[in-house]
Amino acid sequence: MIPNLTTTTTPRAYNGHTSIYLPTIATIEDVHNETELEKIYTVRLPGGQNLGHTPGQFVMVSLPGVGEAPISVMSSPSRTGQTFRLCIRNAGDLTNVIHQLKPGDKVGIRGPFGRGFPVDLYKGKDVLIAAGGLGLAPARSLIDEILDNRANFGRLIILYGARSPAEILFRDALAEWNERDDVESLLTVDRPDEAWLGHVGVITRLFEHIQVNPYHTVAITVGPPVMYRFVVMELLGKGLTPEQIWMSFERRMKCGVGKCGHCQVNHRYSCQDGPAWTYAEALAFEEAL
Amino acid sequence: MSLYILSKEKLPAFVEALQAGFRVVGPVRTPTGFAFEEITQADQLQLDYTTTILPPKKYFLPQRETLFKYHTGSNPEGAQSVDVEPVFQDVQPTVIFGMHTCDMSGIMLYDKVFSEGFRDEHYMTRRDKMVIIGIECLHPCDDASFCKDMGTLTAPPIYDLHMTEVDDDYLIDTGSEKGERLLLNYSEAKMATTDHMQRLGRVLSAKWPRFRMRLKMSKDQTPSLLTLGYNAHIWEELGERCLACGSCTNVCPTCFCFDVQDELDINMQDGERVRVWDSCQLHEFALVAGGHNFRESKASRVRHRLMRKGKYIKQVHGLSGCTGCGRCERACLVDITIPGTLNALHDEMKVESGV
Amino acid sequence: MSAKPKIAFFDFTSCEGCQLTVIDALQTHLGLLDLVEIVQFREAMSEKGQNYQIAFVEGSCTRKSDEARLLAIREQASAVVALGACAHLGGVNSMKNRWPIENVQTYVYGQNGKDAYESYPARPISAVIKVDAVIPGCPIDRHEFLRVVQMMLQGRTPRLPDYPLCVECKLRENACLNTLGILCLGPITRAGCEAICPSYGDGCEGCRGWHPEANFDYMREILRGHGLSDHEIDARFTMFNHYQMEQMSGHAPLSEAVAPVTDTSLPTSSFAAPKED
Repeated sequence: MIPNLTTTTTPRAYNGHTSIYLPTIATIEDVHNETELEKIYTVRLPGGQNLGHTPGQFVMVSLPGVGEAPISVMSSPSRTGQTFRLCIRNAGDLTNVIHQLKPGDKVGIRGPFGRGFPVDLYKGKDVLIAAGGLGLAPARSLIDEILDNRANFGRLIILYGARSPAEILFRDALAEWNERDDVESLLTVDRPDEAWLGHVGVITRLFEHIQVNPYHTVAITVGPPVMYRFVVMELLGKGLTPEQIWMSFERRMKCGVGKCGHCQVNHRYSCQDGPAWTYAEALAFEEAL
Repeated sequence: MSLYILSKEKLPAFVEALQAGFRVVGPVRTPTGFAFEEITQADQLQLDYTTTILPPKKYFLPQRETLFKYHTGSNPEGAQSVDVEPVFQDVQPTVIFGMHTCDMSGIMLYDKVFSEGFRDEHYMTRRDKMVIIGIECLHPCDDASFCKDMGTLTAPPIYDLHMTEVDDDYLIDTGSEKGERLLLNYSEAKMATTDHMQRLGRVLSAKWPRFRMRLKMSKDQTPSLLTLGYNAHIWEELGERCLACGSCTNVCPTCFCFDVQDELDINMQDGERVRVWDSCQLHEFALVAGGHNFRESKASRVRHRLMRKGKYIKQVHGLSGCTGCGRCERACLVDITIPGTLNALHDEMKVESGV
Repeated sequence: MSAKPKIAFFDFTSCEGCQLTVIDALQTHLGLLDLVEIVQFREAMSEKGQNYQIAFVEGSCTRKSDEARLLAIREQASAVVALGACAHLGGVNSMKNRWPIENVQTYVYGQNGKDAYESYPARPISAVIKVDAVIPGCPIDRHEFLRVVQMMLQGRTPRLPDYPLCVECKLRENACLNTLGILCLGPITRAGCEAICPSYGDGCEGCRGWHPEANFDYMREILRGHGLSDHEIDARFTMFNHYQMEQMSGHAPLSEAVAPVTDTSLPTSSFAAPKED
């Protein structure tokens, strides 16, 4: 069963704060330059408190004096102890300033928020993950969760499309997945350089290289908005039903708690009822795709 | 809860008595019309006002509201430090006097929005200190009103007191114990008699014919009409006309969307995070950091507003997203109106389905 | 404590009102001087330090010879900020662009003086040098000035509101001037001034430039409703923004051609300012 979309809880306080808008001040423990555009931040909540998220959820990251923005959690719950990781692209005003931060600096954290990927529903199934660009960061939270509980799942197929070789994320992890017998991973780049020997083209080009048992597969796709329509067509072409296809909807989120209205998709708030939805749910929303 | 009677000439004394313990806000005359403002003297109250530019929502959800203060600095070891402290703004005993029934319907929606799911204590603590005194609408504000269509011409159950002008008296219904206590402690109101009730009944039943219906469909049909008309031609026409000025949403008693911004003191270390009213009619509203705008065209934004008013809000909160107050119509310089749009949609769908 | 960033102010063709607003802001927000060091500000001091990082430039470029000075400022500064409508848009100075420059020179300086003073069509400084940030307005808004300075010190790129003035006007609960018979360009003008003119009953003249979605066609309809002729509406649209309209060439939302006529006899044009009564 798909988890209920409607939030019924009415907490008087959130994360111990009376105000749902008050961030918890966390410390950056490590900054790793991932690509030209992306950095990976290891973040520690006060007292090393566990973030307590599910794969696909996001946190609101803020720098008082600059602003706040939603960022997907990159760590899987299985790899989240006293710290968690965020992969942040320098794509705007706030993230530009975040990119200037060093270990020891402070950031505000609210969350985790939203409905992530319901991992329990995927148990016993073959899992196909199609990620585009920065979408590999939220997908990573799911991939690592599956890898750390590998026996609970069937095949794990990872399709990843990056714009260019220089923009490929998590090269170490990709190499590891490539080595493993229990992971089928394929990578393509849209704009290869001269040294590139792998697949070329958009992510949908990878689908011809895989076959799945449609009765036994769930698909999860995360990427830029333009990608979904095409990936969904490929998945439907492989015999999957809309109920078997999960996607994460990126929207502008200013509050994270279903009040400010920015992330609305039809009558739903992506920050609360999403960001993860099935394609079947999305079909009912004219605004979703 | 009972019905009371207070003669009109005793009202100023009631207002003045309330002022001892409350900030009293009500409709006052401005150079161009009326506005809800804090009153200092009872005779400023204009209970026969028509409409205001902004609804009284501005006292429930201020245009600009501080959410928390922050201080950034460094500790003696040179490490960065950040302290945050929540701020609950404008939490003070306040009586909102003379709210029309449409505006009370708007606040009923706000109460649900800010209490359901994550509870917004900034709104709720302020709301807990508010006393709502409604006034029965006996005449339409003007031609832009369509409250009768939207079913907001009668008082929703959120008032503490609700007054109806009956000849030289106000008949006052008590909606809460708090309201009743205030009325009994601060005024000379007396229990209404059966004769008063009869007079009230006559006044109330006489008011309905004065209000006209403007929609070609019932309000319960608007969700399905909007669903069918999602791809109608009218959106493009309206999008072309729209000035993208956001006036329709800023003056709307049910619009609650906000933006969150950081303000920095001149010392660059202290500051506040604030929320300010935002509008889905503005270009940036659905723009994400990667540059994709989920409602790039004005047509899609105009449509989203109508969808929200006539369908989405009802789906989520079970209440109408439109109160029929007519403020958006008065504020629009290019004549985009809710009744006009719904009626045109109705006509377009009718033609399309060959009915 | 590391050295404070050094800033400098420069003026070109302008009334210097924006720099006066800066002086005003310095008096109400003395703390600004803890953040930056002013090394050159003709309006306020006589020293002329040449070692600055942020240059604030007021005024439009109206002479060929101004270009070298602008380029020198650009060379020195790591960031250049256009201060006010003249530097940002060309401003009211660009109204002269409606006529051939010779006509303007003759009209202003007379037949004998017309060659004594150099002039060319007014333009914003961005037409000559790269500009990193803009503080719009005639004059600038002091709070916006402070915000822009703070954002630059934070290493951020200041951004302007990209919605119309009506937003700020409505939040102040002003009655719409256009409905009261006073013409106001608020619906097409970029917000950021807290709707100061309409709040005092004066219609907006568009000094902050247009917002990106300005709906000129329907603004024209509204102005026609005030009884303005298309010719007069064109004049309204080009009061501060003539240069922008020129740049839009064939797409300018004007009823008449915006390019100056080549008749050099007198400052008459098929597109001239509304006649004074």
